[in-house]
Amino acid sequence: MAAAARWRPLVPWVSGLLLLLAALGLQSQLYSGQERTVTAIFMFVALAQAWNLIGGYAGYASFGQVVFFGIGGYFTAVAMTHWHFSFWTCLVLGGAVAALFGALIGMPLLRLRGHYFAIATLGVAEGIREVVTNLPDLTGGGAGITLPTVGDQATTAYLGNDGFYLLFLALAALAVLVSALVAGSKAGFALRAIHQDEQAAGAMGINTTRIKVLTFALSGLITGLVGATYAFQQVTIFPERLFDVDITVLMVVMVVIGGSGTVLGPLVGAVVLQFLSEYLRQNYTSYHIFLLGAIIIVAVVLLPQGAVNYVRDARRTGEYSLLANVRRYRL
Amino acid sequence: MTSFLQATLYGLLQGGLLGLIAVGFSLVWGVMNIVNLAHGAFVVLGAYVGWQVNDWIGLDPFLGMFVAAAVLFGLGYGLQRWLINLVVNGPVFITLLLTFGLDLMIVQAMNIAFSADYRSIPTSYAGNSLHLGGVRVPVGRLLAFGVSVAVTLALVALINRTRTGLSIMATGMDRGAARLMGIRARHVYALTFGIAAGLAGMAGTMVGTVGTFNPAAAGGYTLLSFVIAVLGGLGNMYGALIGGLVIGLVEAWAGQYLSGTWINALAFLVLVVVLIVRPSGLVGRAYYAARLEV
Repeated sequence: MAAAARWRPLVPWVSGLLLLLAALGLQSQLYSGQERTVTAIFMFVALAQAWNLIGGYAGYASFGQVVFFGIGGYFTAVAMTHWHFSFWTCLVLGGAVAALFGALIGMPLLRLRGHYFAIATLGVAEGIREVVTNLPDLTGGGAGITLPTVGDQATTAYLGNDGFYLLFLALAALAVLVSALVAGSKAGFALRAIHQDEQAAGAMGINTTRIKVLTFALSGLITGLVGATYAFQQVTIFPERLFDVDITVLMVVMVVIGGSGTVLGPLVGAVVLQFLSEYLRQNYTSYHIFLLGAIIIVAVVLLPQGAVNYVRDARRTGEYSLLANVRRYRL
Repeated sequence: MTSFLQATLYGLLQGGLLGLIAVGFSLVWGVMNIVNLAHGAFVVLGAYVGWQVNDWIGLDPFLGMFVAAAVLFGLGYGLQRWLINLVVNGPVFITLLLTFGLDLMIVQAMNIAFSADYRSIPTSYAGNSLHLGGVRVPVGRLLAFGVSVAVTLALVALINRTRTGLSIMATGMDRGAARLMGIRARHVYALTFGIAAGLAGMAGTMVGTVGTFNPAAAGGYTLLSFVIAVLGGLGNMYGALIGGLVIGLVEAWAGQYLSGTWINALAFLVLVVVLIVRPSGLVGRAYYAARLEV
């Protein structure tokens, strides 16, 4: 019994490692269409984890999170096309630029709370999209920009389905790892304290501004890395796609359905929702968005606290009834 | 000078209509603390209702908009009464996601029912113009502006001067106390949402008369309502009208003097600056969205 208790903290790490190995082993079993689907799942795992840092732990609902995705992607596109950087340099610098941008806009915007923060970040994302659209000499404008991936101009050989599978898997693993490390660290407790009562957290000696800005930058870094990789994968990118507000909304949906403020929640949410969305797309072509909307509504009504939090609470209290769940937030 | 006057006039006319588009969004947010992501879908749905009755019986859109308002009021009342009330006490993400799901369903249903083609509600007069000393005044837009301002003022009167309106206001200020005074909060919430949806539908029919619409336009109207509601501030029915006029003018002037789509960037710049300098909006009061729920 004592031995079991000693090994218990290792269980999440070991299961995470096994999951990573399983994902690596899965690759050889997939044909290319399936491989692309699973790659998209990895991408959203990383994005959902990044959003969860600021939206889940700290409780600051960033509705302009996609701006980091777009900045990472466009930095990569511009640097590879005009300055002939290799993709790997762009990946690192794109992430860094996104993180820096997060810190810069975080300082004024993280003073706002609740809906106001949500809208201000949304405004920034829409504004940056317009800036990118209106600089056609640099970014190609609304007509898009094509990254040099073949011929003499190519600075880095195109990675192909297999390469992107591994790269997005690595990003997803990195995002889960960061989330797990933050959750267990002093910073993670500080963020949760801010979520519950920011004034009290400040009174306890937490430098709330610093920790919020750093978390926002970290969240921007991961999102920027994913955006940079996405731009290289897509080859031709457009402002409408790279700054698409739907990408932000998907991150939020995945985190909330999975369970916000947990390490496992965004992972579960991203896998389930992306898989379900792909299944519906293939089997109910014209109705799939309608069905997806209905599923989101049902999930929000029945599991408002997210799947992971529901299971954890239900195991502790023995209360498995979904109706009790509905009663909680009902008027 | 004439071009400046023309742009200013166009901005004001457009701004009044934008105010009516956003006023319901602002009402729902101020009273229930719900950011309704399906608001733009209600606007476009209103345009389709107006288009449909015009197609069936040739009803003039400026009468058809009352049909649209009635249909959307019923839809909004039902949605709030039996669906959104189930989660209304949850954290902000929850209502946000629920209305996002509704938005997906309504937009896709419109896509299936009406296709993604651009449409416009035809009238014999909306395209005509009056001439006032070199400035052109489009009749359709002038009518839409007049109706929008009148309806917004009627809403202000309804909220401030009737029992129903006061019960909406009271529920928005302190729901617990309002319930203790015998106000049926579930019904009042449903009524508020119904009024908001009805006004959105009315505005939608006018949008469809002075311009074109398709299901994909829904997201844009939601975003615009967001910006206008924040600019004007919550908790004040004039807020949306003022926010709408500001955005209408900014966009019209920017369209006159700036190239490309810098207009949109400017609207968001105005928004972010207002948020940082004056988070409660131009005429709003801060406590509305930040208060505790009982």
